[in-house]
Amino acid sequence: MSVDTPSAAATGRPGAGPASGAGAEVEGVVVIFRRVLEAADVAPDSDFFLLGGDSLIATRVLSAIARGYGVELSFEDFLLAPTPEGLAEKITAGR
Amino acid sequence: MNGRDDSPAAPVTAALTPAALHPADGAATTAVVVGAGLAGLTAATGLAARGIEVTVLEARDRVGGRTHGLRVAPCSQVDAGAAYLGERHTELLSLLGELGLKTTPTTMLGASRFALGGEDATRDGRFPPLNAVALGDMFEQLDELTRAVRPEAPWLTPDAARLDTLTAAAWAEQRLTHPDALLFFPLFLGEMMAADPADVSVLHLAFYLRSGGGIRYLNAFEGGAQQDRIAGGAHQVCERLAQRLGARVRLGEPVLAVRQDADGVTVHSDLGEYRADVAVMALPPLLADAVEYRPGLPVRRASGRTARGCAVKATLVYPEPVWRDHGLSGWSVNAEGPLLSTVDDSPAEGGVGVLTGFVTGAEAHRFAALDPEHQRAAAVGQAARLFPMLPAPIGFHVTDWVNERYSRGCYAALFGPGDWLRHGPTLTTPHQRVHWAGTETSTEYFGLMEGAIRSGQRVVAEILART
Repeated sequence: MSVDTPSAAATGRPGAGPASGAGAEVEGVVVIFRRVLEAADVAPDSDFFLLGGDSLIATRVLSAIARGYGVELSFEDFLLAPTPEGLAEKITAGR
Repeated sequence: MNGRDDSPAAPVTAALTPAALHPADGAATTAVVVGAGLAGLTAATGLAARGIEVTVLEARDRVGGRTHGLRVAPCSQVDAGAAYLGERHTELLSLLGELGLKTTPTTMLGASRFALGGEDATRDGRFPPLNAVALGDMFEQLDELTRAVRPEAPWLTPDAARLDTLTAAAWAEQRLTHPDALLFFPLFLGEMMAADPADVSVLHLAFYLRSGGGIRYLNAFEGGAQQDRIAGGAHQVCERLAQRLGARVRLGEPVLAVRQDADGVTVHSDLGEYRADVAVMALPPLLADAVEYRPGLPVRRASGRTARGCAVKATLVYPEPVWRDHGLSGWSVNAEGPLLSTVDDSPAEGGVGVLTGFVTGAEAHRFAALDPEHQRAAAVGQAARLFPMLPAPIGFHVTDWVNERYSRGCYAALFGPGDWLRHGPTLTTPHQRVHWAGTETSTEYFGLMEGAIRSGQRVVAEILART
């Protein structure tokens, strides 16, 4: 694998398809949180910043969401809804 | 190797065991250490504690290397050089404890200022008003590169030959498309490693980020590598180590040559010759490479592509940190120089307000070439535009590390295309009786104070293991 080619792992593409309702988006964002935070213990209502996240890795979440769901959220969107549930709602609204 | 329990860098004052005082036949009993920065003084302290007779030769008329205190008020000094540390910097923290030095948190309360093209902006937190998805794409790619590196042996990283040839600038051109990412990339490299993207290989970029604990740790203040400063200034670490070593440390003795024969090594300085069983070169690679070695080195310490770390610090002193009264943290990030970022460096004890401006990357060379009057006008004028509430400064100082004769760059040497594959495998390999220290020889926390200390400890262990 070429190390500067984004791999499947780096895209954070959720296993569930984006078409199966907000539940799938929540699960997808949970997976993204786990990857960028390197933390296993992420729940749908986990606050990104309480889990140790900061603005730099928040952008990585936004990038993974854009790649996985085709929805570009802003940094302000993230600050207003820094949980998998909150972001899943923004993704659904942004479609 | 760097575990605290078996750390070789015991304090000079530690009880000496009989075994340490009577080394085995053939083991080193005398050493010359070249360079009185953190690496050299850590090595000298550790060797002296094991009963080895040590002489430290320092070119400057002060100790400290790339740490340096700058007086900003009668009883206050700020860091003109290395300044920050975090919890993972365990060897530095343990040394501070031993020396009776305290840390002080880098407070970051209030909003940031950004001048990144378009309208100047004030924002909460440190996130710049740029496209977050574009920056996220960049950080995702950098994170993947960083993870792929073999930190203890970057030259063995998968695809190392290609990554070592490619500059970070060429990588960005290939991989980054959004203008905001292209704008932010050089600012990020400047802040993280004082590099112009054209100067470093992408392998070095990835290694540097990994060595320092990853992008997030290296970038963060709270919970990261900039969590704390050393109260009263980082220069005190070397000053206190040197104080304990006393007359063993000789200032004003630049070393010109190191000659070895079957029985020992002779280090030639401007003023004299020093004979010992072993020598420790605790210098940045560009300086270590400039010394004459007999016999010659099988692999040089630097190449034509090894660049100076491009950092100039501008210290602006005001009667008070007035920006705080306006809800601002003093932190700013700017697309135009000279000050590409500013940070509140006011002494914890109060008295004055200090803004430190970082002039990094290509901008450092431009700024360093200006005469003092123009440097002052440019820096003070930019600070006043960022923080309109500022009065006239009561002090202004420029610390030009790029052109500093006995540092040749800061934070650390920049490994350019080809350097890791060429120099990496022998980075720490002794040249017969000559051992190599300095933060650039530490694959852990390369370029940081922590790396310097760990390199000094490694060299002590190497010398004690000689038979």
